[in-house]
Amino acid sequence: MNEQALSETLRTAGYIADEGLVTTLWFSQALERPLLLEGDAGVGKTAVAGALAKALARRLIRLQCYEGLDLQQAAYEWNYARQLLAIRLHEHGTAMAERDLFALDYLLERPLLAALTSDVPAVLLIDEVDRADEAFEAYLLEALADWQITIPELGRVVARHIPLVVLTSNRTRELSDALRRRCLYYYVDYPTLERETAIVRATLPDAASQLVEDAVAFVQRLRKEDLEKNPGIAETLDWVRALHKLELRALPEDPDTVLRTLICLLKTHDDRFQMSGERVRALVEGRRSGAVAVSA
Amino acid sequence: MAPRPLETIAGFAAHLRDHGFGIGIAESRAMVAAAIAVRVEDSERLRAGWRSVVCHCPPEWRKYPELFEAYWSPNRRKGTVQTSGQMRRSRDLRQVVAELQEGRDAQARQATRADASLTDAVGNVLDQHGDRAKGGASRCEALAERDFGRWLPQDLSQLERIVEALAQRLRRRALRRLRNDSRGRRLDLRRTLRASLRTGGEPFVPAWRRPRRERPRFFVLVDVSRSMETYAQLFLRIARAFVGILAARVFVFHTRLAEITPLLASGSGRVQEKINAVTAGFGGGTRIATSVSDFVNGHARHALSRRARLLILSDGFDSDPPDQLARELGRAKCRGARIFWLHPTRHAAQTAALTSSRELIDGFAPLYNLDSLARLSEIFGPEAR
Repeated sequence: MNEQALSETLRTAGYIADEGLVTTLWFSQALERPLLLEGDAGVGKTAVAGALAKALARRLIRLQCYEGLDLQQAAYEWNYARQLLAIRLHEHGTAMAERDLFALDYLLERPLLAALTSDVPAVLLIDEVDRADEAFEAYLLEALADWQITIPELGRVVARHIPLVVLTSNRTRELSDALRRRCLYYYVDYPTLERETAIVRATLPDAASQLVEDAVAFVQRLRKEDLEKNPGIAETLDWVRALHKLELRALPEDPDTVLRTLICLLKTHDDRFQMSGERVRALVEGRRSGAVAVSA
Repeated sequence: MAPRPLETIAGFAAHLRDHGFGIGIAESRAMVAAAIAVRVEDSERLRAGWRSVVCHCPPEWRKYPELFEAYWSPNRRKGTVQTSGQMRRSRDLRQVVAELQEGRDAQARQATRADASLTDAVGNVLDQHGDRAKGGASRCEALAERDFGRWLPQDLSQLERIVEALAQRLRRRALRRLRNDSRGRRLDLRRTLRASLRTGGEPFVPAWRRPRRERPRFFVLVDVSRSMETYAQLFLRIARAFVGILAARVFVFHTRLAEITPLLASGSGRVQEKINAVTAGFGGGTRIATSVSDFVNGHARHALSRRARLLILSDGFDSDPPDQLARELGRAKCRGARIFWLHPTRHAAQTAALTSSRELIDGFAPLYNLDSLARLSEIFGPEAR
């Protein structure tokens, strides 16, 4: 599949990617290297994996990282309860060798192993890898570089099909160089006006065209304000959905009405507190004059 | 002799490496593989593809387009004047890709040869760049010409020993998060029960947890402007010790800000040349507030927390409006960071910027010799034992 086709299938799967991202995804596939996506929360990093799985008709396997994530939750775990049961059953029956207890039958596959042993090619999403501990990051190296996992009792488990791996990070901590260098890298930025408009139109086809244009332009200007948490694409979609539910055909001129709906966009107390009717008016007026409102 | 396209790509890798990118043979190979994988008419797409291969963090991501242009289209750059009598060999990306792909039929044979050639090419180009950098003029030339040893007659290890002692004295803060620890005092019920399955359901081996304890996270901002050039060498050596011992992140600034942690961490003897390459073109003057703003809102946007300790090594002479520094430091402060100002003179300069920011700075300390460095722990108060 060439880049053009990949772009089209992603679009069909509901993800409108810019050219750079499509090229990187294509390279990730062609070079069989994991892809590390960084960017602010809400810019659509996680959605890339979902859309990719849908576009390529692959199984999506997700590993959600968090502090304290360990091998048992990420790669594999022995099914002790089943092993115990097997021992009890064999106490009065035939003899059982130790190696029988450490066979694949007694292994619980967690996402990493599942992605490597999957019968069909999979997309493995390792989400928010920065939240996991550094030790876990080191463990990932073997899986991502050599496409294998070493289980002491069994030996090496090599991938049947090399999965397409997407790692995401919000940069709550710096990832190690070793991990970064094994991955391709792409910084997902906030979308341009055109792309965000296209995304909203594709997701909410019933919303009035004027409303979508006004709302997206407003959000683009809002992101240039000095906010603690910039609204992401998900917030834009929520907001346009809310405005659409209010049966609005365009952005209301009354700043107070807009202000009341901004709970969909502003997610911290400070941002909410500093957004007065006056600032909203300036942002809305920026739409009319075509200028960009910048806070003092 | 190495084939020309490989040498050109290796040259680009070396060019990026000179600007602080961590590119090894593996990345160079991936670049060649990418060039072979694309169609000749798509060679411009390599720009985007290589970006994902060679960039490993947002600052590199932002810097890449400029460096790509500078290497592949040097004549398109604004404000550059070539005075050399020797014509620079033009580089055409399409031509490089086409030449690379010519040998694609003999792929198996070429794979081995290309690897070896690439390794040689990288080595050759690195040597060339090394020679070239020595005579390169930059705004920071005065810095580069200063003797490293002039400021530290003692061994570098002494400097490191002092920073090590400081690290020992810094208390580790207990976090709310718990970690597995056999000496912990809190029972980890889930793990205990899980482990009991191995012993037939009898919890013979209890699992314990205790709070994680972490040292503060250090960020060091070093002023390398003209007014600081006599002190910058010492400050950079101190910063290097902070990187090695306290895993600090280090930035340099005068009119703009750039992270140099990878350069300091690599332990290369040519740090100053590389820093010059990073900061070349920043322009004259000192814009402390703008640099702090870049740091707070860009580089450390997600890293500033109550654990963060921000050390600013500067004389405080700022060409930005005085109240702007207070505003930017206030932002860092809001996120819980503690800010310390280390000045190269016995007393902090009474500049307008520093005066307006005084209340936001947790401590001032002189840093002009080893004794003052040894006393640095005093400004951290109860945090240091």
